[in-house]
Amino acid sequence: MSETNTRRKFIDTTCRIIGFAALGGVGAVLTTRASAHAVFQVDPLKCTSCDLCRTSCVLSLSAVKAVNEFSKCGYCMLCPAYMDVTSAPNEKGVPSGKVCPQDALKRRVVGKEDLDDPNNNYYEYSVDEPKCTGCGKCIKACKPPFGNGSLRLEIRYDRCVTCNECSILIACPEEAIVRVPAPGLSPLLTQGETANG
Amino acid sequence: MDNHPEGCGGGAKRPLWPLILLVVAFASSALFAQYQKKPPDFGGIYSFPTPTHPEPRGIVLLSLDVAMLAVGLGLGAYFVLKRRSRNATLLLSIAAIAYFGFYRKGCTCPIGSIQNVTLSLVDPHYLISPGVIAFFLLPLIAALLFGRVFCGGVCPLGTVQDLVLLRPMNVPRKLDRVLRWIPFVYLAVVIFFAGWGLPTVTSSGKEIVLRRFLICEWDPFIGIFRLSGPFHMLAIGAGFLMVGMFYGRPYCRWLCPYGGLLSILSRVAWKNVTVTPDKETYCGMCADACPYGAIHDYNADRATCVSCARCYECCPREIVRLRREGIPAKRYVSVPGGRGPA
Repeated sequence: MSETNTRRKFIDTTCRIIGFAALGGVGAVLTTRASAHAVFQVDPLKCTSCDLCRTSCVLSLSAVKAVNEFSKCGYCMLCPAYMDVTSAPNEKGVPSGKVCPQDALKRRVVGKEDLDDPNNNYYEYSVDEPKCTGCGKCIKACKPPFGNGSLRLEIRYDRCVTCNECSILIACPEEAIVRVPAPGLSPLLTQGETANG
Repeated sequence: MDNHPEGCGGGAKRPLWPLILLVVAFASSALFAQYQKKPPDFGGIYSFPTPTHPEPRGIVLLSLDVAMLAVGLGLGAYFVLKRRSRNATLLLSIAAIAYFGFYRKGCTCPIGSIQNVTLSLVDPHYLISPGVIAFFLLPLIAALLFGRVFCGGVCPLGTVQDLVLLRPMNVPRKLDRVLRWIPFVYLAVVIFFAGWGLPTVTSSGKEIVLRRFLICEWDPFIGIFRLSGPFHMLAIGAGFLMVGMFYGRPYCRWLCPYGGLLSILSRVAWKNVTVTPDKETYCGMCADACPYGAIHDYNADRATCVSCARCYECCPREIVRLRREGIPAKRYVSVPGGRGPA
């Protein structure tokens, strides 16, 4: 082998070793900082249901959906999130319009239905997720004092593609989208009382 | 309470405010009671359902991504350097588009991981998952060993451009040399925005540092893998694919910052593509066959070769070798614009 070839080989090998050392160093530093897998979620205390969740998600149908916390719900007949209370009443005195533009908030009677007077009934409200666009109109209407605040927006992980940079996070004016380690989900989701992400 | 000393001392002149507060409290609770209701007691006939929360991807599936990447890199190196087979590399790239592209919808990808790694190095409190670290490091390690095998058969962004390359044309050498600097400029900008960002004032007057992941925001192909996306992403993607029909892999060669990193490391790769299996005939067909202008002086340039394995197919010595070894030799592949026999 000629002299230049030997020299070339030596330089290559040296550089390769330096390369491996550099990668190893970066890898070692990163490994000490590695944490659990992180996910994005909506902080219900900061969220103002401004409609940007619907429009800013990279998916054409946003991964953010309305979720009803049943244990907080009043099961009211006259639900301000279900029906548009300002619309004209029908023959039974119940407002005819609905809040949800997609008709994604469904309700069913719990127990035996009183057909004559709907005021005697309790209704279970649930979200039809394929229809829900995450616009947040029902969440606004359910806010206290007129509602119980049982509805909230939530990033649904069966739809969320976990972008490296959540485009809703960038758009959100309230900084209500937080990035949290995946196992730490439950407190914020089930109670909505801690705002630390 | 403390700022009413006369209330405690005198006794004659009792302040009115606790009474007012009490009345207001009663009135408001009565007002709220009109609207807010406690969940009713249904007795035994009904139990409150708990809202479902779909789980994010579990640790097993996340490890599967890393394993698929490692297997892909290994297969890529084997197909390109050992089997010397374009068809096998092509199959691998289609599998990569299916898995990393359409199934995983383009995330996690090593290109975007540059930003996570930068941010983690700058800000130790940033949450970086071990999977992202693996996605950042594995292709770089592979580049030190076998060259840019990640680009050739594993990267869904690169291989999708490879698939649409119908009529390769040459870019003037001088222009190409200038354009090849763009990835490094882009890399510097990306690192700056991911790690430090620009201070901005929000509409509410709050001062924040706006860190942005530019690679992800301007990713041309992710919208195609997701079959939806913002208009600018889809438009840029369509543009790149259109250019990519004539000029091979425009994103990889002239924009991809991770490609820039790989090209630095692959310069000293341990093994790399050697076109002729034995004797050099100086026919130059490989240089014509290479859509990426990566073959100079009858050798694959380690920095620019993306390990697509196209050159083997038109090497006359390779055909001779295959025939000698009893492997049914494929025909010469004529490359449009090249001068190889049809």
